[in-house]
Amino acid sequence: MLHVNIKKAFPHFMLDVAFTAEKGITGILGPSGCGKSLTLQCLAGLETPDEGSIVLNGRPFFDAAQRVNVKSKERKIGYMFQNYALFPHLTVKQNIAFGLKGKPKAEIEEKVAEMLEKVEMQQYGSRYPAELSGGQQQRVALARALITEPDVLLLDEPLSAVDPYMKQALEQQLISFIKEHFTGIALLVTHNIEEADRLCDHLIMYHEGEVIQSGAKEEVLARPVNVTAARMIGYENFLPVTKIERRGNEVVAFVHGAELFIKGAKIPFSPRFVSIHAEDVSFIEEGSLNTFDYEIVQTRARMNHVDVTIKTKYFQLQATVVKKDWDSLLARKKKLYLPPEYLFFLQG
Amino acid sequence: MEPLNLFPLFLSLKVAVAATGLAAVIGIPLAYYLSRSRGKIADFVDALTTLPVILPPTVLGYYLLVLLGRQSPIGKFVEETFGTTLVFTPLGAVIAAFVVAVPFLIKSARAAFASIDPNLIRAAKVLGRSDWNIFLVIILPLSWRGVASGLMLVFARALGDFGATLMVAGNIPNETLTMPVAIYDALLAGNHRLANALVMIMTAVSVSLLYMMKRVEKRMIRGDGSHVARKH
Repeated sequence: MLHVNIKKAFPHFMLDVAFTAEKGITGILGPSGCGKSLTLQCLAGLETPDEGSIVLNGRPFFDAAQRVNVKSKERKIGYMFQNYALFPHLTVKQNIAFGLKGKPKAEIEEKVAEMLEKVEMQQYGSRYPAELSGGQQQRVALARALITEPDVLLLDEPLSAVDPYMKQALEQQLISFIKEHFTGIALLVTHNIEEADRLCDHLIMYHEGEVIQSGAKEEVLARPVNVTAARMIGYENFLPVTKIERRGNEVVAFVHGAELFIKGAKIPFSPRFVSIHAEDVSFIEEGSLNTFDYEIVQTRARMNHVDVTIKTKYFQLQATVVKKDWDSLLARKKKLYLPPEYLFFLQG
Repeated sequence: MEPLNLFPLFLSLKVAVAATGLAAVIGIPLAYYLSRSRGKIADFVDALTTLPVILPPTVLGYYLLVLLGRQSPIGKFVEETFGTTLVFTPLGAVIAAFVVAVPFLIKSARAAFASIDPNLIRAAKVLGRSDWNIFLVIILPLSWRGVASGLMLVFARALGDFGATLMVAGNIPNETLTMPVAIYDALLAGNHRLANALVMIMTAVSVSLLYMMKRVEKRMIRGDGSHVARKH
């Protein structure tokens, strides 16, 4: 278990985050410049926070109050940098062995050979990084980070340097290698929500140096707590709530005179918006609950779906319609339907 | 016809070698410090190390005289400890040449250090290496081209220094008389034959030096690029 609670101030930026991470892959998601990489550097001992503490399995790496600051090399952290940061003047073997300095020669030889086999790079040991493909470079970077048998693995935008057409294969390679050869806590920094969704078990969402939400991936993706978090993971519909009423098990939200039933909603805060993902917006023949007449304002055809802007008497919405449903939608005059189980409240 | 006294040529070469060595020892760490710092102190040090390029050699020489003269604390200390003065000795010539030439090394080494991806240094640190080890194993190998060309510039500049050397070391024949000063003296004394000979020698030495530098530079680029350019 990794407990992080740190502050670090800069002239125009303040990092102030607290989170915990367990075994498995935890994604740190946020736009560039929100302090994701800085957090990793603090964890690795490359930057020193002003305040707070970093504790791994009960062992403090850093504690400002107790003046503890364990050196980088004693933290047992594996770090895979953005663009891999392989040493360009050293061979693949020398790169992988870099963290083993001071160990007996025979042990280094043995470990490196073993690691080369794990990453299927046996025949490339004496190549230089510039002679390798992107996928091979990624494997060398992973090998170099994991050869010291770290407790924590930090991955800073591991796929940002990869050509789009290679991305899927490399993502698969990365995830299966980590699952197979690493049992500790992995933190993965990314600004790409789809990448985070595919690679991570837990998510921590960053915004301007602060954590706005964290938790299990499914929970975070399905129920963002505020508009910033929701926007980051691709929500576009934010309907302003004027009044809320409880009716039995359901909650009714008033949006410009429209009544929206919301199933199973808790109201732990005073909600400002009600939201639904564009993909969850539905169309039905007939109904009464959460059903509205609509007009189409704008359509944009995508590869497999149509993005459509819809207007009702009360509000405007984004909806995503699968291509094969599109024609039937136009042919039959269906009504807009907002399923109560997909609606949820957001803070401002 | 008296034989040509080649003392000034050898003195100039010796002074240039010593000044280059001194520049390497002091200039490279300084360049490294400047490449990694962004504070006000670093800006001040940066300005200070650029100053010798801008100041007239006489001004520079004057400062050095005041700083290193027999009345100055440094001059006194050296005279009491080692029994030699700094000014009007070959050592003075080395210091003058060093001060005039070291900015070239600092500029070029600093640019080379600054162009290294900071993540490489971070990676080395996380993998357990000390700052000193990182400097030797990562930073120098990746920036040696910039450092080497800086050192060559220092040597060339030190070899040709006139103003500061004249003021700090003087023109004592067979003791502190370097090549550029000897040429000036010969001209002043109306000895055109000597001046001509020395000018020819100086030109020949400089041209062959430049040629050698180009050769070394080319070999460095080729040597460095051989394993990078080859894609499989």
